[in-house]
Amino acid sequence: MHRLPTLLSGIFLVFLASWLGLVAYPALQLGRLTPVADADNGGTLPPVYGGQAIAGQRIYAMEGCISCHSQQVRQTSITSSDVERGWGVRPSVARDYLRDSTAFLGSRRLGQDLSNIGVRRPDAKWHFVHLYHPSAVCDGSLMPCFSDLFLVRKIQGQRSDEALDLTGADAPKEGYEVIPTVEAKNLVAYLLSLRHDYPLPEAPIKKTGPAK
Amino acid sequence: MIHATLPNQQKDSGLKPVDNRSIDASVRLPVIILFGNAVHWLVIASLLSLIVSIKLIAPGFLGGISFLNYGRLAPMARDLMLYGWATQAAMAAGIWLMARLCGCPLGGDKGDGLGGMLLRTLIISATILWNLAVLLGTLAIFAGYSTGVEWLEYPHWASSMLLLSFLLIGIWSILLFDRRRTGRAEVAQWYLVAAFCCFPWIYGTANLLLVWKPIQASAQGPIQSWYCGSLLALWLLPVALASVYALLPRLLDCNPNRRHLATLGFWMLLLIGGWNGMDRLIGGPVPAWMTSAGVVAGVLFLIPVFIISINLLGMPRNETIVSSNFPVRFFLMGLYALVLVGVIGALDSLPDFSGVVRFTAFTEAKAQLWILGAVSLPLFGVLYEALPQLLGRECWCSTLSGRHYIITLVGLGMLIALMLLGGLFTGIALTDPTVSFLNITSYSYPFHLMECVAQLLLLIAALILGVNITRSLAGDYLLNKQTGK
Ligand code: HEC
Repeated sequence: MHRLPTLLSGIFLVFLASWLGLVAYPALQLGRLTPVADADNGGTLPPVYGGQAIAGQRIYAMEGCISCHSQQVRQTSITSSDVERGWGVRPSVARDYLRDSTAFLGSRRLGQDLSNIGVRRPDAKWHFVHLYHPSAVCDGSLMPCFSDLFLVRKIQGQRSDEALDLTGADAPKEGYEVIPTVEAKNLVAYLLSLRHDYPLPEAPIKKTGPAK
Repeated sequence: MIHATLPNQQKDSGLKPVDNRSIDASVRLPVIILFGNAVHWLVIASLLSLIVSIKLIAPGFLGGISFLNYGRLAPMARDLMLYGWATQAAMAAGIWLMARLCGCPLGGDKGDGLGGMLLRTLIISATILWNLAVLLGTLAIFAGYSTGVEWLEYPHWASSMLLLSFLLIGIWSILLFDRRRTGRAEVAQWYLVAAFCCFPWIYGTANLLLVWKPIQASAQGPIQSWYCGSLLALWLLPVALASVYALLPRLLDCNPNRRHLATLGFWMLLLIGGWNGMDRLIGGPVPAWMTSAGVVAGVLFLIPVFIISINLLGMPRNETIVSSNFPVRFFLMGLYALVLVGVIGALDSLPDFSGVVRFTAFTEAKAQLWILGAVSLPLFGVLYEALPQLLGRECWCSTLSGRHYIITLVGLGMLIALMLLGGLFTGIALTDPTVSFLNITSYSYPFHLMECVAQLLLLIAALILGVNITRSLAGDYLLNKQTGK
């Protein structure tokens, strides 16, 4: 091991093992997963994202939502708490991420898992108010306000349909309204499309009793 | 203070090793630039970490300004810690140690000629490029151009600058090794060669597949985890260990003498280190064998950790040297931190335990202890050892060094203890679905509060180091001025 070539080949071979297993294998196998046909609706699973949702992923990345939120429901053999908490009806599998540009798996849960937030909270209005001021809807939330994703503007004629229903200290001045920007709309479109409530061949949905 | 004379073994190769002073002269400028900038990034990273932790007790703190958001500050702080501080300090330590251990000045014998000058200009430009890339990458996250890939948030142009700069600097450690004037290679040199080869491979592959030309997201999970594990286990840790292997025996004036153990430790670390990050995916959306591999790797990682620490901590120690020498104390503490990292990592990968603590502060504690303990503490040791030798005079204020040492340890100890406890606590609460999520958040408030205190201590420690190093370098400038007169 005193000659550079010997040392280098040793290092190369030893290092190659993990590279093959954790980089090459996933790239070749998991990277080639394909959508499956959806027997019920005739589409494919996982469903294709709409244009807004695709753009919303960018906002999710830039605002660092991943620092506080994961997007994975763990296997029930490891823990059943993810499913029991209602964060998903089945554990996540690799194919679930097929349509994403980046897999926002996450490593810390300061907030809840979001892989099925679209199922859990299907109302866009709720999301807008929550993003504008989280503690307005969740008392004691640690989540920061994303008020920069909104515009405060003077009401012109009639109040816009999109205006947020804010109360108390959050409510804008008389004659003004708070409306979501394009970014906010894209982000919420993305959040609403986060729903993995369908079975996949490798991840059937087990019928279980009501959650305890 | 006793200094290590590197190298001190008998040489059997044809060429005579060059004396230490000319070697130091050949690497002085790049190494000082790297160390100096590393420390200033450490200060900024610690400040950001403090703000981040305050945001967990007062979400409104500095609120309303979108780019001072938790989601942007947290990755900024972590990337600065990883690339601004740790990787940069590791490059500095690696180049200095390699040149010394090889008895060979940077740029070879003709170090003073035109070739040598060109080479030095190249390396210095590379160090500037590195810092520019770190700065621009950080600003890019700030401005909302984060890639959203954990630990790889820098946009593609910043990460390619980093890789290029690393290649320009790192190649020299390999060339130095190839041209060494000292006979038998030391274990420390193997670690350095391995580390300098692995970083471009790891960083290049991960960026290529996740940032530059992202592959289908279904395959990204394992690659992300592989990156996080390998960056720590195959780049930062090997440099830290190289420093300890090179300097500790010399400072303690004894020979570890158990070379076979060291050899075994080296190969085991390389073999298992690459699998180490898979604990992030236990139970995740990956094939079942990867989950099993994560469990096995987490437990097996204890083997190299124990071998290496028995090897290094088992050396006879002269307590008077230990108590009077800061590098030695930093090295020893770094090794204890490594043992703890191994134990936490093993626990954390046991399936039942992982099911409880993953995604809580517990797993985060392991990463923090790894970066701030097992890696940073030995790097502080090299910094304290290298600078006086590079400047050719005692330069540290020992009161400040002492404060830095104590406050770092107290801050780090406190932070890790709180995160482990807090994580365990929230983890157990999360397993009971009847306890609401917001309730659990409120449980962790006291932990978050105390974590702020710990982060404040770490910031103070970093500031003390900053003052100390500025003082040392400014002293040099003043001295030059005097002699110039
Ligand atoms: C400081 C960490 C933090 C960041 C950053 C963060 N969140 Fe949250 N999030 C939380 C916490 C804590 C909760 C739980 C309390 C609440 O609902 O407000 C939460 C809750 C949520 C919920 C409701 C979940 C549920 O099950 O009711 C959604 C949706 C959400 N966050 C989306 C986002 C998005 C989108 C981003 C990025 C723009 C983001 N969060 C960034 C901490 C964070």
